[in-house]
Amino acid sequence: MYGYSILRMSEQPNITVPGEKLTDIAQVIRSKNAGPLHVTLDVMFPDRPSYERARQSPALAAEAIARLYKVEPAFVSVIPYSAAHAIKVTIDRPIVAGTPGDADVYGAQQHLLLLGIVL
Amino acid sequence: MSATARLLAQGLGPGRPLRVLAASGQLGYGVPEAALKAGIARAPHFIGCDMGSIDVGPYYLGAGKLATTEVVTKRDLRLVLKAAVGLGVPLLIGTAGTAGAAPHLARTRAFIHEIAEEEGLSFRMATIHADMPRALLREMAAAGRTRPLGRIAALDPATIDRAAHIVGQMGTEAFIRALRTEPDVILAGRACDTAIFAAIPQMLGYAPGPATHMAKIIECTSICCTPGGRDAILGTLENESFVLESMNPARAATPVSVAAHSLYEQADPLHVHEPDGAVDLSAARYERLDDRRTRVSGATWQPTLRSTIKVEGAEWCGERAVLLAGSCDPRVIENAEAIIRGVRANVADIMPPDPARPYELFFHVYGKGATSLFAAVPAAAEEIFFLVEVIAPTMETAHSAASVTKQYLLHHGFPGRLSTGGNIAFPFTPPELPVGSAYRFSIYHVTECDDLASVFPVEVETIGAG
Repeated sequence: MYGYSILRMSEQPNITVPGEKLTDIAQVIRSKNAGPLHVTLDVMFPDRPSYERARQSPALAAEAIARLYKVEPAFVSVIPYSAAHAIKVTIDRPIVAGTPGDADVYGAQQHLLLLGIVL
Repeated sequence: MSATARLLAQGLGPGRPLRVLAASGQLGYGVPEAALKAGIARAPHFIGCDMGSIDVGPYYLGAGKLATTEVVTKRDLRLVLKAAVGLGVPLLIGTAGTAGAAPHLARTRAFIHEIAEEEGLSFRMATIHADMPRALLREMAAAGRTRPLGRIAALDPATIDRAAHIVGQMGTEAFIRALRTEPDVILAGRACDTAIFAAIPQMLGYAPGPATHMAKIIECTSICCTPGGRDAILGTLENESFVLESMNPARAATPVSVAAHSLYEQADPLHVHEPDGAVDLSAARYERLDDRRTRVSGATWQPTLRSTIKVEGAEWCGERAVLLAGSCDPRVIENAEAIIRGVRANVADIMPPDPARPYELFFHVYGKGATSLFAAVPAAAEEIFFLVEVIAPTMETAHSAASVTKQYLLHHGFPGRLSTGGNIAFPFTPPELPVGSAYRFSIYHVTECDDLASVFPVEVETIGAG
């Protein structure tokens, strides 16, 4: 693995640093509703290299996010947005915002699981 | 001469800078006055305010009530009305009274009448209604011309009938139709946030891509800045580009902060969907003009072949009562799930639910993952909080269920219990409280529409002495 990383790094300077935590490099990790049927999570980075390292990490792929949030992969989309050095993750809400039984009407506290991501 | 007539007579158009002042992204929570004054000093060609959002949840649309208080709502309306009338420029207000249905529009309109009288203001006002005609919606649903905007059931006639209020989001078409009546003020029901700011540019012939992109950013005022805030922002539209400047000198619109705003509360940062088209931001460019200003260009506009309307509806789902209590007993915390199962059984025993009209009991246990929508459970806390929510067909049932739950939760016995004095601590009495009616979003769909004008009718009136 180590040798592989060295080889890749020579080709691609932005390759993920093994063991790097998302919270070590992200400037913003936030969540909010995008309408009452979706929660959207924004992970924003201070610069291009950190954004690129995160973007290339399998830990931020839609399948990995689906496993982390224990939802079907079809309910997750991941959109990298280079203009803002940001990665957007959108997940279908399991309950429509504000319906009795909802836990977070604004969807502003659904980012916790992202805080534990190792890239 | 009305403010709109004056604006149209100025020979504005592509190549001539159009100054747009966004005074508020959520009128009624307190418009910061210093930044508004700074914006007025820049002689904007018109002032726009957003007054609502779906983000606050289904209650306000369902109940026909404002989320903001009368005192602060009137304060803000007074500030922007006096500013616009003083400058002689149009004032456009979108999504009146939080949710933009008939009662919200009526209440906001009454506030405006009161302010005009108190301040001796006179002006011509166009009101645009946004209540979705139910017959039309039923027809569209039956014809397969509606679709859900996510994980919500397909639209059926029963859902349409049950909704307390149903609104459609109007686009620039409705505002332009209202502008043709040459008002000083436009008060709109439920509206796309962008339409408030994109209608006048569109009417004057500015390129729709950048105009809509600018509208999308400034409708949130200075949130696109660093540090973000609620102060007024000035957008200067050139044609293929626009410049953003916060009216609070402490806030800077930087290329990264403005680009990042495209992410805010949007599922897709590269596309903004409007009733008559979509903005594509994949080629958008953000250039630094100086420390506090950014120039934006590159947004492209793709018109749609068929107009669509985003439709929102809320229905009553019961009366809500809650119970509030905490616990720091490690055995209660450890056994919370079993205690809740036991208490549910006790409550069902005392109050057997009517199968035709059941009540629902929700235990939100803070300190045990109650905040998460997903299967995320944080590390066990040393203190937990029980928020028990009851939704029942009547308040009497809701209140009774909360009361019975309180007593059984307090004294529920479980193996290993030490604290036989009580399992929970009440912060005050009564700890069980009636909250009021509960609503849920039952409609969040898009419908095709062949005749936008019939859905969003315009009414014109003259307010004040004239």
